[in-house]
Amino acid sequence: MQLTILDRIDRPAEDVVALTLRGAHGPLAPWEPGAHVDLALPNWLTRQYSLCGDPRDRERYRIAVRHERLSRGGSDYIHRYLRPGRTLEVSLPRNTFPLVPAPSYLFLAGGIGITAILPMLRAAADAGASCSLVYAGHTYASMPFAGELRAAYGDRVTVVATGHDGRPDLAALAAGLAPETVVYCCGPTSLLDACEAVFPAERLHVERFRPRPRTFAPDTAFDVVCARSGRTVPVPAGESLLNALTHAGLPVPAGCREGVCGSCEVTVLEGEPEHRDDVGAAPGRMYACVSRSRSARLVLDL
Amino acid sequence: MTRQNAPLIERRPRRVSIEQVRDRLGEPDAMIKSKIQDHIDEHSRRFIAHSPFLTMATADASGRADCSPRGDYPGFVKVLGEHLLAIPDRPGNRIADSFRNLAENDGIGLLFFVPGSRETLRVNGRAYATDEPDVLVRMQTEAREPELAIAVEVEEVYFHCGRALIRSRLWDPASQALADELPSLGEVAAAQFGMDIDPRLLEARLEEGYRQLY
Repeated sequence: MQLTILDRIDRPAEDVVALTLRGAHGPLAPWEPGAHVDLALPNWLTRQYSLCGDPRDRERYRIAVRHERLSRGGSDYIHRYLRPGRTLEVSLPRNTFPLVPAPSYLFLAGGIGITAILPMLRAAADAGASCSLVYAGHTYASMPFAGELRAAYGDRVTVVATGHDGRPDLAALAAGLAPETVVYCCGPTSLLDACEAVFPAERLHVERFRPRPRTFAPDTAFDVVCARSGRTVPVPAGESLLNALTHAGLPVPAGCREGVCGSCEVTVLEGEPEHRDDVGAAPGRMYACVSRSRSARLVLDL
Repeated sequence: MTRQNAPLIERRPRRVSIEQVRDRLGEPDAMIKSKIQDHIDEHSRRFIAHSPFLTMATADASGRADCSPRGDYPGFVKVLGEHLLAIPDRPGNRIADSFRNLAENDGIGLLFFVPGSRETLRVNGRAYATDEPDVLVRMQTEAREPELAIAVEVEEVYFHCGRALIRSRLWDPASQALADELPSLGEVAAAQFGMDIDPRLLEARLEEGYRQLY
């Protein structure tokens, strides 16, 4: 964890605050566009937010947070109770949405999903790549950074207020997509699903805040062997691997608990995991919050 | 009867009337009375948002009273409006005393604590059981929602002065040594259930149960 001080709270749009976090002990860990951090709140909750500031500024991180109507305690706390000057612990940046080098990019952002896209667009433009952004939200007033994006990138940025203009025409964008262009999309499930329907999968990169609605085969029970302690923990159907480990007294740090943030990654030494996450686990890794096992036994490096 | 177990007083302690109580204590001053509010203001809201623990008093139709603890992460009690809050019902002993009481008598008294704060917050009102999805979804922890919550229609809200907590040294870390003098839960359970079982075994089982919090 890194200790930061909350320097400023800005309101870049309706129901959105931007937090500027300064390293309490000098420079903060470096990051690449697309990265997110876990923010530990004073109410003991941890939430994940994309870094939306400038990676060249090693002194501060910037995040932006929308006040969710049915907040489970993260965004509501940030909006109502955080005050400048508070120290806050922030994890090392984690990047499950890296920007791959390409000559041309199409960025698509929905609402607060702009936070992940913002540093990507800047990096792509600075690298001299051809790039464009379609940024959709309900109303202009609810869309953070729209004005500054248009000021900086001119007609490379299209802002679409869906309540006024209707939804962006993704099919037309897909039809006109140059063969060398890669597509990055971050936003609500509806936008991601619509993108997945029209853009070629091998050129589409998405980041989700909420898991993709999917159905899985019924849970099966399995045993987990923790290689370091030698302990075997049974994981019954209906209980997550993460909870089974916690209840056995072997807690794994966790964030979203929905398979989107990547904080509960564990290393698999033996056995065949059944991946149910939306991060995309690297070989030999799995996310304990949602993923299970195809084999009767999994050996983990725990 | 050993001296240790002998009652301290042979008869029931004498009773005084409310008039006598008032005579002894005097009338509360107007400032104290005026601090009682009929709604949750910004300061009370901030207090509740930082409170991980409360006690909840209810009584049945005949007046049989009961007080139970509730606790979770700070802000686990959700303020839904100036006159409305909701308390999640987490897995407990499944006795449901509070729910049974509220079904007969909807009066409720809550006392909120914030670790380190000498003041406490008192909230009184009327309550009922709810399964409203928009309320329960806000209470999700460890990816689980409670089955039920208690909705409280707030009538009185006030900060209670810190003297009791100051005198009790409740937040003084040195006070935690008091717990070392208590029997373990295993010892208590073994004695109360009359079980011929090693208290340490029982203790281990109970500790295991404590890991399953949601």
